[in-house]
Amino acid sequence: MRSSQTAALLGQELAQKLKGTRVLVVGSGGIGCELLKNIVLAGFGEITLLDLDTIDLSNLNRQFLFRKKDVKQSKALVAAKTASAFNPSVKITPICANIKDSTFDAQWFAGFNIVMSALDNLDARRHINRMCLAAGIPLIESGTEGYFGQVQPIIQDRTECYECVPKPIQQRTYPVCTIRSTPSQPIHSIVWAKSYLLPQLFGEEENEAELDKAENDGENPNEIAILREEAQAWKQMRAALRSPNATAAKTVFEKAFRSDTQKLLGMDDMWQNRQRPVPLDFDKVAAGTFVLRGQEQVRPTTDMNGSSSNNHASGLRDQRSLTLPESLDLFVSSVERLSARLQRGEEIITFDKDDDDTLDFVTAASNLRSSVYNIPQKNRWDVKEMAGNIIPAIATTNAIIAGLIVLQALQILRGAYDSLVWPYLTAKQNKPITGSQLPPSNLACAACSDTYTVVRCDPSKVTLGELVEKVLEHTTSGEDGEGALEPSEVAVYEAGRLLADPDFESNLEKSLLDLGCERGKFISLVDEDERWNTLTIALCALPENEKSSQLLLSSSRPRLKPKFKVEPPTVVSMDVDRPALKRKYDPEETIVLDDEDGPVRKKVKPNGGPSSSPSKAQRLEEDGLVLLEDEETIVID
Amino acid sequence: MRNATVLVIRLRGVATEAIKNIVLAGIGKLIVLDDALVQPDDLAAGFFFRDEDVDAKRRVDAAKPHIQSLNPLVKVEVGHDLSILTNEEALNTLLKDVDLVCVTDLDQAAAIRVNNSARSQGKKFYCAGAFGLSGYVFCDLLEHQHVAAPKNPSKDGSKSRMEQYKTSYAPLSKALLHSWRDTTSAATKVLRPITVFSILACWEYQTQHSHAPSSPDALPELESLANRLLKKAQVRQKVCTSIPAEALSNLAQTAALEWSPSCAVLGGMLGQDILKALAAREPPMANFFFFDGQTCNGTVVRMAMEPAPNQGAPPGAIGNLPSSLNATAEPAVVEID
Repeated sequence: MRSSQTAALLGQELAQKLKGTRVLVVGSGGIGCELLKNIVLAGFGEITLLDLDTIDLSNLNRQFLFRKKDVKQSKALVAAKTASAFNPSVKITPICANIKDSTFDAQWFAGFNIVMSALDNLDARRHINRMCLAAGIPLIESGTEGYFGQVQPIIQDRTECYECVPKPIQQRTYPVCTIRSTPSQPIHSIVWAKSYLLPQLFGEEENEAELDKAENDGENPNEIAILREEAQAWKQMRAALRSPNATAAKTVFEKAFRSDTQKLLGMDDMWQNRQRPVPLDFDKVAAGTFVLRGQEQVRPTTDMNGSSSNNHASGLRDQRSLTLPESLDLFVSSVERLSARLQRGEEIITFDKDDDDTLDFVTAASNLRSSVYNIPQKNRWDVKEMAGNIIPAIATTNAIIAGLIVLQALQILRGAYDSLVWPYLTAKQNKPITGSQLPPSNLACAACSDTYTVVRCDPSKVTLGELVEKVLEHTTSGEDGEGALEPSEVAVYEAGRLLADPDFESNLEKSLLDLGCERGKFISLVDEDERWNTLTIALCALPENEKSSQLLLSSSRPRLKPKFKVEPPTVVSMDVDRPALKRKYDPEETIVLDDEDGPVRKKVKPNGGPSSSPSKAQRLEEDGLVLLEDEETIVID
Repeated sequence: MRNATVLVIRLRGVATEAIKNIVLAGIGKLIVLDDALVQPDDLAAGFFFRDEDVDAKRRVDAAKPHIQSLNPLVKVEVGHDLSILTNEEALNTLLKDVDLVCVTDLDQAAAIRVNNSARSQGKKFYCAGAFGLSGYVFCDLLEHQHVAAPKNPSKDGSKSRMEQYKTSYAPLSKALLHSWRDTTSAATKVLRPITVFSILACWEYQTQHSHAPSSPDALPELESLANRLLKKAQVRQKVCTSIPAEALSNLAQTAALEWSPSCAVLGGMLGQDILKALAAREPPMANFFFFDGQTCNGTVVRMAMEPAPNQGAPPGAIGNLPSSLNATAEPAVVEID
């Protein structure tokens, strides 16, 4: 039934091709669920879905393949089950694992016709990018941030790969459990304060109807009881804040920073490999006598002139780090101010970085939390920037992007490479979806300018020297196949590690395994004379029933290309400190990289991210984080 | 938004996606009306339907439990009576208790009737449809007000007030008569008139034949419709003199069909905009969105509406920067390519 519809829409040939296509979808979160649904309905024959995560309550309002009863189960498994009902003729194989696992070597990737990345972190994306280059299969990358998003088809030698342009804005994602229980960076505390504690106390009331329904549906009564107790505790706190109550701030403090922490400490497993958090004692902290990890947290004395910090200009005040008692003071003062506003009739108070009361609250609360977890403090000025940059995930953006991914996949399957575009969502009222031209690959890219080849072997049975020799024998160079590369002319690397070079050969006799070069890893052979580009070997497992001493090379011989040399840009930069590539992120802006050997390349870079000045991006990067991206964070409605 | 009642008429691919989006986000009540049984073709994009529902259950009955399971807190009601599409009194009665009505895959005449009723009752109106890989979304939000942070925050850093923005929307009947005469060539080009008029032609065809084009035989008529509409709209000749047959041949054959990925894009835009219209905190689109699934381009044409108030770019702005993250009211500046 569905297939005849697809054939009518796309033509018999393409419909058939679709049916025979094996797709790998990595990630089953916000984009992943939507993407899976589209692929299942669209007529793809075989789908493999990979995700290492389990379902959390906070996922349910965006990741529509999951229901309350699925919480704590594997995302991949549940998504596959739900989606297969949409089209029973499709084969879906869920895998609950980390894509960086060595099992998923380049050979495994080569088993697919196309890969779609629905991930949320830079590291995994880079990994998949390289694997797809090594396996020689098309990849479609994508990402979303608030209302923005983009889809990037990546085809070796035809388009840019994921690493062709450095990503100036570090994107991170935070699993909910990190925010709720095991934070380790200042941003985690800030997200917690802004997106969890503030709304919990001053935002919209939580609806208990869901718990009622869950109970009626016969779900685990113990778990429901615990959730109800929590809900009750917060309800009482909210009530206390909405009526004249001198001790409301203290009550909140004790719950958020003492009793909740004590509860978490009870879960021993969590702290096996992590530093244990320290519950705070309100009275002791206020008195300046609380001892935190061996250090007494005293109140600051006033300076020599007797003037207190309050007399400083607000700018300076903002940049000062607070001591623990000062954070407590700020917490109490901000809670009291917010509480007064509630009592004056404001029903809901949400975070606004220009609203002093909410900013004070988030500054104080996040720093108190950081103290609990032994995380560095942030001053108010930094908190303002970081909190202001947290972007709530928007489900419809994911839905739109997921649709665009499959539309591009269609063009790839058609072989219509000239029809491929780079669709991105813009803030322009008249052109919300723009399909821009794909930039060609960066010939000097560290990832895609390499020549890749797959080698299958048992790393314990093959020496590095053997590998290098056999592979180079198999390799040709240049147009006419002349000019070979000798083992004595290369330096051998695994990731950043130098394993061997013409002056240092002792490792060549060691087995790959002894050198930490196992399945899934890449070994790069770099031409010391810089005539040829780098040859990167993707180590893969031997097929079953193969003699373990074997070294299987790829059937097609890898061909090296003349090394592309990058001339420094002739554009003179007035600001020597600022690298030429880091600048305002504007979808319409073009960079001109003037290259003596190649054409002037005009590049449109629609990253779809919000604009931020380079220095700001740099500064925030130095702090460890800029923009929070979607997925597992606590979502603000 | 949490208390809003949304009425959706016709449950095909675009409606399915939009419903999923707004129910997940959480509205007060959803009413879905459709008189048809589940068709075999509905399985292509209708993930609320199962194989066994085909020819056995009504669309809305098959879908109801699945819609409900997306969000137990939303009230979901369904109905089989589409006589309201031709009975003005019944339609007005139905619309009384609704905040927003959204019709999908309806012919133009029916859409206009619903729009007019909605207008008379002061209710917001959306209509959308898919034609093959492409489609449209239109909205009439009457006199719409929304609140946003001002574009140019005060310099002294004082707490930024939220500002009220008001936009006057046009009914569908007027929008379809929009003249492009005053749109500059550059602005016309950006809006992609070939896509716009191809889709409008399909819609016109659907209205005349009570089904969208579905065979190569429809091409000549489709071509003539598209060009007639183009001419009538006085689109700048410099940009587009005619819609060539090649641009329409795919649509001629496939417009009656739908495909999940395109429905996802259309339903995503539709759902997103309904939520914006209900929440009144960010500017919804204004007012006609056209999506071309082949090239992945989506433009919004302002039809029969006043040009957006030009709030002017702050000094030093380069082109069109994406709006700040606490979404501001972005003026729909007519831009030069």
